Amino acid sequence: MTAVLAAGALALAGCAKGGGGGAPQGAASTSQKPLENKAVSAITVGTAQDSTGPAPEIQGAKSGGTVYMIDRDDFSHLDPGRVYVNYNSSVSKLFTRTLTAYKHDESGNIKLVGDLATDTGTTDDGGKTWKFALKDGLKWQDGSPITSADIKYSFERLFADFITEGPDYAETWLVPDPNKPFRDQYKGPYDGKELDTIETPDDKTVVFHLNGEHPDFNFTVAMTGYGAVPKAQDTKQKYDKQPFSSGPYKIVSHITDKSMDLERNEHWDPKTDPIRHAYPDKFHMEFGVQAQQTTERFMADTGNDKNAFTFHNAVAAERVQEVLGNAELMKRSVQGLTPFTTFYNINTKRITDVNVRKAIITAWPAKQIQQISGGEVNTGKIATTVMSPTVLGYEAFDLYGKLAKPEGDPEAAKKLLADSGNPNPTVVYAYNQTPTQEKVTVAIKEALTKAGFKVVAKPLNPTTYYDAIGPVDNKFDIYWGGWAADWPTGSTAIQPQFDGRQIADNAPNYTHINVPEINEAIDKANAITDAAEAGKAWAAIDRMIMEQAAIVPEYYQTYFGLYGSGLGGVKMDPIEGEQSALDIWVK
Amino acid sequence: MTSFLVRRVAGALVILLIISAITFYLFYAIPRDPARAFCGKICQPETLALIRHNLGMDEPLFVQYWHWLVGIFVGREFVQFGECPAPCLGYSFATQEPVFGAIVDRFPVTLSLTVGASVVILAFGILTGMIAAWKVGQPLDKVASASSVIGASLQIYFVGPLLAFYLVDTMQLIPRPSYVPITESPLEWFTHLLLPWVVLSIIFTANYTRMTRSQMVEQLAEDYVRTARAKGMSNRAVFFRFAWRGAMIPIVTIFGVDLATLLGGAIITEQTFSLHGIGELAVRAVQNTDLPMLLGVTIVGAAAIVLLNIVVDVLYAFIDPRVRLG
Repeated sequence: MTAVLAAGALALAGCAKGGGGGAPQGAASTSQKPLENKAVSAITVGTAQDSTGPAPEIQGAKSGGTVYMIDRDDFSHLDPGRVYVNYNSSVSKLFTRTLTAYKHDESGNIKLVGDLATDTGTTDDGGKTWKFALKDGLKWQDGSPITSADIKYSFERLFADFITEGPDYAETWLVPDPNKPFRDQYKGPYDGKELDTIETPDDKTVVFHLNGEHPDFNFTVAMTGYGAVPKAQDTKQKYDKQPFSSGPYKIVSHITDKSMDLERNEHWDPKTDPIRHAYPDKFHMEFGVQAQQTTERFMADTGNDKNAFTFHNAVAAERVQEVLGNAELMKRSVQGLTPFTTFYNINTKRITDVNVRKAIITAWPAKQIQQISGGEVNTGKIATTVMSPTVLGYEAFDLYGKLAKPEGDPEAAKKLLADSGNPNPTVVYAYNQTPTQEKVTVAIKEALTKAGFKVVAKPLNPTTYYDAIGPVDNKFDIYWGGWAADWPTGSTAIQPQFDGRQIADNAPNYTHINVPEINEAIDKANAITDAAEAGKAWAAIDRMIMEQAAIVPEYYQTYFGLYGSGLGGVKMDPIEGEQSALDIWVK
Repeated sequence: MTSFLVRRVAGALVILLIISAITFYLFYAIPRDPARAFCGKICQPETLALIRHNLGMDEPLFVQYWHWLVGIFVGREFVQFGECPAPCLGYSFATQEPVFGAIVDRFPVTLSLTVGASVVILAFGILTGMIAAWKVGQPLDKVASASSVIGASLQIYFVGPLLAFYLVDTMQLIPRPSYVPITESPLEWFTHLLLPWVVLSIIFTANYTRMTRSQMVEQLAEDYVRTARAKGMSNRAVFFRFAWRGAMIPIVTIFGVDLATLLGGAIITEQTFSLHGIGELAVRAVQNTDLPMLLGVTIVGAAAIVLLNIVVDVLYAFIDPRVRLG
């Protein structure tokens, strides 16, 4: 769901927003007012009652009108199977429904509820077999009913050879052997073969037989990547441009890179839907508008821009101060934590001494980096853990006193290096060669040198950054990275990055950490069926990783955006980390 | 004339072939795997291999280039994207749409921008240049020359947002620049492109004013002009029937180059006004290391330059009877 940008071009797009390795380019390094941050919300699993529609009325909201959306990029994928990035996911919620989904209440709490399903699914064998019952009255945009066969088919087509961009959790779990490539075990439905691990005993029931215990599978199927696609309307590769709607809107026109228009899908029944209000009659979306332009247009607030919002574009760095100082603009601003975290990987294959790694964290100039990158509003809260506060079970701890001494503690670092027996280790720091990162590198070099390190800085081309740090035998010690959980539990916030059994070229375990105790704890946490208990177990693993000093946490990324004065109900979606379209209405 | 055209067009095709081959080769010299863009966040090696196969990237470079060339004439089929009918320039790695379609789709925007601006630039530039030459040394000449220097020193990304702020946001005299097809509403097409035209002409007109002025002044000092005058031809007739022809040759040359540059992608103008033309495609292709799109845009840009060069050569013959094509 919130696959915020991790590999390849997507990651680079993400960095471009965050500045090619942490920070927006050209950001002023002035002192800034602290960003108002809501308390981290509770994430819970809702009941069948929570899953019934319609979505609770918003006071003062009314139906009708056209909502405009202006943003930098067009949606790269709309075929649910090919959707991974948060931006594609945010818009898909208007026309693609999933078995489960997230409901946000007024106080910012997040609840997993049934969307197409009557509840969040049931399992009585610890998460190996999952049963979902579909609601009554579910219909596609042509009025035909959404059946369990459609859901089964939606999962089967994910095995097709052209669907490569989406998540592959379910695919890996639905074949007999999770350790063999899933496409070798099932080739998809286009040659007439079915996947027998998904059963449909009747029109309303879907049963998944997984090859292992996955107690948070009900979170997995909330990803847009597991959204519903009808067999009768599956146009294969072409489906990506024109998906068939199960939600409150349908696509009436989509001109790549220019615009997209949505109109009501009259077959959608609000009584079946606990999360979508669908107040506006239409959406008109315009692409190719840079952050600076959206910021200026929201500030000018004229014509149709009054009724405009943006999913992704943040306030342009050079305008942040002006916006913060303007009470009228602040009234139509959206801000909060995203699920995205950034950090500096420490290559544990090369820096094997834990005390050296601890010394790096201790000496790290977190505050200087933040200032160079434009301050808290442009970056995020200084992080001290692996998991973001947006993950279920997050515990705040600060093993290396980074919040007390964010500018780095060279003396304490020196002591740690003395313990390691090498007071002057050499570290190779690889970075994205952008103007901001050049400055950041100077600060890092200075801080580490003060603690006794010899720093070799290696500039990398931003276009090939991930290709350079991807190989397991890369020759670097420290390199920046980012991550976001695919659903807000530790299994995707932690496991892909720190499970020592998943080290491979270009795999997410960029620190190459392989500690048997951590691997074992991951397996145990994955087997806990109670979500809250599992959260605690993941928080304990978070602490183990930080004790191993595998990463220097950088930020819990924040989002800060504007919208027009003619709209109500524009909110931050903490699961996607950008603005949500689900509650918007025209004043 | 015909043999001239045949030779030039054949030469142009060879040039385009060389340019496409070089672009193709250079792109693959970048140590980056485009297949990664089609792989999910946790990219399994077998998925990556599948994508390379789907994109036809598991074959030797020259085979890939050959497929690309053949695709232009007979079309191709990609597992990742589906069918790509001829003329197929491949699918964009970034937007997953056929490159040819994207270029055709955006060409009217860039063409409107270019043609409209050209009319304004030429009309104003040549007119003011002529006036300045007519009144050499007089106040009108000074004003025209001075304002052209000021115009030439301005930048699109400065004048553009400034004028947009005053004319669009504050005074609301003209609509925000966008593209409305001329077939849909000629009036809206005109008003929505007015601001970019004006901005482009503020900057480019100056060149033509200065060029026309100096060329005219030079031509008026030529022997043939003196002869014409000596034979009793009026000033006006000398000016408009003889001198301007000589002055136009370098103007046409420069204009040919400018026009090709604009057609190949009015990059800054399109970025400044959020217009979705070829220039924007080019910028995004570079940002996304999108080979098929990059190749497509490069070829269109190169074709525009080569084609307009031929047109310029033909025009010479019409303007200056001394030039013979053969």
